[in-house]
Amino acid sequence: MSNSDKVWPTGLTEAESEEIHRNLIQGTQIFGMIAAFAHLLAYIYSPWLK
Amino acid sequence: MIYSKMWCVVKPSVGIPVFIAAVAIASFSVHLALTINTSWVKNFLNGGAKVVAAAPAADATVKK
Repeated sequence: MSNSDKVWPTGLTEAESEEIHRNLIQGTQIFGMIAAFAHLLAYIYSPWLK
Repeated sequence: MIYSKMWCVVKPSVGIPVFIAAVAIASFSVHLALTINTSWVKNFLNGGAKVVAAAPAADATVKK
């Protein structure tokens, strides 16, 4: 049985933990897309892998 | 979402900086290794050179 109002040792509820995790995943995805784009530019415009 | 309840037991004020620091250190290490162990990064950053890649030695004959 899961009590959604339970406050865990970190001071968060499960809903708050899931909200933090959603935002962290989204930030990681945005960072990853920017990094992939930067690597594409580096591949095109630098001697990397040539 | 998988692992979404980890912040119930890991303080976000600790876990998130550790996560970001791990990504930053790994990324920095890879780029530092590239700049140290290759010559083209330095040549590229110096600029001015059109041709960077060097052709392998054509003279591969074995001398007796």
